[in-house]
Amino acid sequence: MNFTILSKEFKKGINIVEKITGKNLTLPILDNVLIEVLSNFIKISATDLELGIQWWGMCKTEKEGKIAVPAKLLNQIAGVLTDEKVNIKEKGNTLTIEGKNYKTQVKGFSADDFPIIPGFSKDNFIEINSKKIKEGLINVVDVVSLSQIKPEISGVYFSFQKDIVKLVATDSFRLSEKTISFPNKQGYKNMFNEEVNFILPQRSAKELINIINEEDKSLRIYLSESQVLFETFLSTVDHPEINLISRQIEGEYPSYQEIIPKEGKTKITVNKDEFLKQVKAAGIFGGRTNEIILKISKNLEIFSQDADIGEANISLPAKIEGSELKVSFNWKFLIDGLVNIKSSEITFEFQGDDGPSIIRPVGDSSYLYVVMPIKI
Amino acid sequence: MELENLWQTVLAQIQLNISPANFATWFANTKILSFENDIVVVSVPNSFSKEWLEQKYSKDILKILHTIDENIKNVSFSVDPGKTKKIVSGKKTIGKDDVLTEQLGFKELETNKDTNLNPRYTFESFIVGPFNEMCYAAATAVVEEPGKNYNPLFIYGGVGLGKTHLIQAIGNKIKEDSPEKRIKYLPAEKMISVIVNSIKNHNIEELKKSLRELDVLIVDDIQFIAGKDKTQEEFFHTFNSLYQKNKQIILSSDRHPNTIPAITERLKSRFKGGMITDMSSPDYETRIAILRKKSEEKGADLSKDVLDYVANNIQRNIRELESALNRLIIFKKTNNKNPSLEEAKKLLKNLIISPSKITNYKKIIQAVTEFYDIPNGNMFFTSRKKEFSKPRQIAMYLLKKELKMSFSEIGRKFGGKDHTTVIHSCQLIEKLEEEEEKTHQEIELILQRIYSN
Repeated sequence: MNFTILSKEFKKGINIVEKITGKNLTLPILDNVLIEVLSNFIKISATDLELGIQWWGMCKTEKEGKIAVPAKLLNQIAGVLTDEKVNIKEKGNTLTIEGKNYKTQVKGFSADDFPIIPGFSKDNFIEINSKKIKEGLINVVDVVSLSQIKPEISGVYFSFQKDIVKLVATDSFRLSEKTISFPNKQGYKNMFNEEVNFILPQRSAKELINIINEEDKSLRIYLSESQVLFETFLSTVDHPEINLISRQIEGEYPSYQEIIPKEGKTKITVNKDEFLKQVKAAGIFGGRTNEIILKISKNLEIFSQDADIGEANISLPAKIEGSELKVSFNWKFLIDGLVNIKSSEITFEFQGDDGPSIIRPVGDSSYLYVVMPIKI
Repeated sequence: MELENLWQTVLAQIQLNISPANFATWFANTKILSFENDIVVVSVPNSFSKEWLEQKYSKDILKILHTIDENIKNVSFSVDPGKTKKIVSGKKTIGKDDVLTEQLGFKELETNKDTNLNPRYTFESFIVGPFNEMCYAAATAVVEEPGKNYNPLFIYGGVGLGKTHLIQAIGNKIKEDSPEKRIKYLPAEKMISVIVNSIKNHNIEELKKSLRELDVLIVDDIQFIAGKDKTQEEFFHTFNSLYQKNKQIILSSDRHPNTIPAITERLKSRFKGGMITDMSSPDYETRIAILRKKSEEKGADLSKDVLDYVANNIQRNIRELESALNRLIIFKKTNNKNPSLEEAKKLLKNLIISPSKITNYKKIIQAVTEFYDIPNGNMFFTSRKKEFSKPRQIAMYLLKKELKMSFSEIGRKFGGKDHTTVIHSCQLIEKLEEEEEKTHQEIELILQRIYSN
């Protein structure tokens, strides 16, 4: 192997794939990244056997070849590269990185021991605007269940329908749903000609958010029986830039629509920023239980009390419809929903003090957040 | 040679040639799925293993297989993720009991997808006392021989007494004893929406078919089908079809079939065709027993005064009893000491003297008219028809008993009736309540409505 690459590019590649490597005691090869040099392209891969990431960058190739190199070490080296471009060679499982006044040698391993990242049939795929997927995922990814008792809800549910895509997550106490619509299918193409649904593990979803940059580009999604592949493209040439391959979570996602209440008995409309601020203020006295109480009668009051430190009584203007109510919530759960809302006003609808309550942005039907109260 | 042995031989030979780490990573949870014609199919837990074995070991595996059985000409790999389910051991799971508050969760996610039952409800966790032993006995009889003993089993009683717990426990137990049985638990409200939706979507036939193929149908809060004619009709036919095939039907309701308004006579008589049993409120001793058992389960040793206080002040509702107990346990967890009686009183203030515990004229009238399904209007206050007069008398009696209103005041509320008429009504109902079980029950149920939510 012998090639020359821009240091910036090399750093970028290492950075993208390195995150998923870690200390793996049973199979130490997984602590490495695999560097493969092909004509005009360098490919760097890493995997933990649940998730795999492959990155391609342009390079000037003198001689093709491949080697596995410890990921953390390579990342440190890439971090201190100052030259504009570097020459990289491999000989006898040793990698030599050479700049103008700089030369390091890293001991690597044979590429043959590195796991093979599964391939996909690329006949059919979904093509979609990557930025919209990224924004949607950010909205839902944090309410995924961390418990292993119900593996189905330990991931984000993707549902690719006719001209909308739904992303859903729940941890059984709250649920968030993002609906991304593509009028006239602009920015969305589904070649499977049917609804496609799968559950993506939370960690893979978080990595997916990381690898998608801010530009409006297209993201392709390929499926196999138990895996899913997300593919982004280089902007300069027609070639994949990043492939993220993840396991799908086994099982069927719960029929979550049943959880979303149709109508509320009490409904408030309130300024979002103000409400967010006051929920945080009341949260100071939420104590270890994080409990705050909303009292809804003629106006909206927020009350919290900690036996040791004190209490807060806050009232704020709100439009109130329906019956009076006193209901208690974990204030952190409320914040988790509110921060994903961009609109200036929100509605908050309640089903009494023990039923699912629902927060929606006013004038934006793409997002909803269902949260269960604390029993009073 | 058996498939299992065959694969063991392969593994035994392979492991000699590769590192233990590699062997553990790539060959764990593999097995031979089938051996047909001349192809052996090996199941592997994930796609990574599949790629690895296909590309690195398929030749070796085939060679070993071929020496054992010459007929084997080919080997292929297939992903079977069902075997990858990790058993999470040691890791502490976040259960409700670990959380300091009673954070409520989505009920829909706890239930089994096929049966719709919540596995949390079992016979083991059901506390039996004099107030519910009849129901319990009937339930166990049903479990022993579903469809034979009591069909339908109709359990009624007020809110928070454990009806849902018991009927779901029956379902769970039957499923446990004979997993092949098809069981469905449906809250009536859900049944109504399912029927309405399937009429709308023109697939009512499928729904009928799926309901009629059940071995056990459990419908909770059946009183909600009152006034829902289409649902009643569909349910009637389903009921008959299951009944004729000796399939078990279990129903629950907040009142006796006779007093469910606006359901057809034919359904009423079906409901009464099996075993009807009621769950009444627990007596003081049982309430104490429940509190003791629950607090033991949760590892709290609350003092006798505190338990006494709770048992004396929460009388009609086991759910509230548990809720009170949880408040006390949370106090203990946050403060690391048991609540004193004074602290308990303060903690439970909301539960015991919450606004809902203080009733008023409007609530009583509303509860009575709703219970007897009397339309709004002046009729209730003035009409002499029998269907109105008894509910009116009960309303007067409750106003007197619960609000301590004066007889003449009550008279004025009912269109200027003389105070002697009111006295007569109250005495009449008081006597009936003592003598007649039906009236007693009705009043109990109305009281529960007044004081719940």
